[in-house]
Amino acid sequence: MNELNILLKKLIRTGTGRVRYAMAMIGLSVALLLILAAVQIQVNYKELLEGKQNKDSVANFLVINKILTDQNIGKAVLKQEEIDDIQAQPFTEAIGVLQTSRFKASIQSSSNVFPFYTDIAFESVPDVFLDVNTKEWNWDENSAYVPIIVPGMFLDIYNFQFSLSQGLPQLTREVVKMIFFNVNVYSADGTTRVFKGKVVGFSDRISSLLIPQSFMNYANTLYGKKSSSSPSRIIIRTKDPGHPDLISYLKQKQLTTDQDKTRFSKYRQIVEMAVSITGVTGLILFLFALLIFSLFIQLTISSCKEEIQLLISLGASPSQLKSFLIRQFFPSNISIVVGSLLMISMLQYGLAKFLERQSAFISALISPVTLGISILILIIIFIQYQRSIQKNIQNNGINN
Amino acid sequence: MILSLHNVVPTPLQDKVLQQGSDVWNCKVSFAAAQWTKIKAPSGTGKTTLIHSLYKLREDYSGRIEWDGKDVQQLPAEQLAQYRQEKISIVFQDLRLFPNLTSFENIELKRVLQKPYCKQEKIFHLAEELGVQHILQQRAGICSYGERQRIAIIRALIHPFSMLVMDEPFSHLDQANTVKAAAVIMRECKERNAGFIITDLDDDHHFPYDQILNL
Repeated sequence: MNELNILLKKLIRTGTGRVRYAMAMIGLSVALLLILAAVQIQVNYKELLEGKQNKDSVANFLVINKILTDQNIGKAVLKQEEIDDIQAQPFTEAIGVLQTSRFKASIQSSSNVFPFYTDIAFESVPDVFLDVNTKEWNWDENSAYVPIIVPGMFLDIYNFQFSLSQGLPQLTREVVKMIFFNVNVYSADGTTRVFKGKVVGFSDRISSLLIPQSFMNYANTLYGKKSSSSPSRIIIRTKDPGHPDLISYLKQKQLTTDQDKTRFSKYRQIVEMAVSITGVTGLILFLFALLIFSLFIQLTISSCKEEIQLLISLGASPSQLKSFLIRQFFPSNISIVVGSLLMISMLQYGLAKFLERQSAFISALISPVTLGISILILIIIFIQYQRSIQKNIQNNGINN
Repeated sequence: MILSLHNVVPTPLQDKVLQQGSDVWNCKVSFAAAQWTKIKAPSGTGKTTLIHSLYKLREDYSGRIEWDGKDVQQLPAEQLAQYRQEKISIVFQDLRLFPNLTSFENIELKRVLQKPYCKQEKIFHLAEELGVQHILQQRAGICSYGERQRIAIIRALIHPFSMLVMDEPFSHLDQANTVKAAAVIMRECKERNAGFIITDLDDDHHFPYDQILNL
């Protein structure tokens, strides 16, 4: 077979139009780099959003409520249909209702050494939405105290504003967790029930005073007003708080959430657009490269028409000629794909190292998707070559 | 391999052929394996047309030509190639060598187009027998017609076949070279137990023919 190929090489000269072929090859290289880069950027972006190492506990949970306007003051509640609709959205992974206390309550120091008193309201959420993991987070009627989770920023406000202005001591989280205080719950008929309370953790996710759901249900049943039970706030877990679909949904339904958490939406749209433009440019270049390859094959076969006709007369089979021509043209494409993959791999490695210094983590290796796409591109080129060669051999020599 | 013609009439020669009598045109003729056939024909009676039609180089005829009972016009390209590689060989009247390949390469190409039937040394051996060993490394394009004719004969004999088709293969050879070439062809055909069809203008005694047909 090798001797045959040496002789065929002398007969079927693939040198015609080499410059055009080289240009098509450069075009293909650029196209591949663009396409693979677009795919890899998408994968990286997804990894940044969803990777476990990058999981930002604040960013993935959103507390949502209605935008308070003059029209809905006092009735800015979320109906069951609205909650169901949010739950049905593709960006919602889990949904939980923030249940509000329907009783009056206050907390008060239980010693005179460090006196304080404040009226207060509580909320509760299903435990899965909490970012505080403590064994103390449970309550039943026999419990010695009511565990409470406080927004982390409350303590910051106390430590860095209130205590300084009032001449009070600053408190660490650990100290606060050691302080027992009274939780006064006032029933509708005027009686007061005093529970012991203690802060068991600080949440950076939900800006509300949280109590276990069991205590909320107990106190609401016994002391609460029988008013509307529709919740006004819900919490959702989402893969990507910056997802443009999520933002447009909230806007359309007149809902709002922490703006800070969704600010990435705009950046994301820009990234997506840039990636799309890169990908589409790459695709167009790729199609042009394919077209030039086809023309080049046509040119080569046409310029050797007589030789091919005689070869077929002598008994060369179309499949022999096809495999010879594929061997002439295709290997350079493999080199280009491998070269592009190496280039993307190096860029990926560099990017991973760079992002690591920014505390963002992506894989230092290119993704299997990128690898898969490059193999797919090779297959497409191969099929295109085969079809083009087959067609041109048929047109030029089959009758002999 | 059996070649057979079923009332074949070449379209360009239709009127002429139908007026004149012929042992081949518009008849049922078979060329069996191991059968040596001479087709004698004056100029212009369609010798080359016949050879090209038999070898499936042209299809402008009415009737049917069959290879092993299969209509050649219906043969798929791959199967046609397989026949030309393993069962049927040809010496063209116009030789059809690649002018840019050397004489040796022209023959070698045919040898390696399929699983080689014989070793490369055989090329040198046959070239020596036919007196063309000195031009083996010369480009075929610059060889004389007689030399090229002998190269074309060697090329036709270098691969497996059971039917050899030759179109005036000795037209440019002197008597001595014709005798040598005929001896080589005869030996190679016997070795393969192959048949042949040869066309020529006149009577000859180069081969012990099994049948002689007038075109």
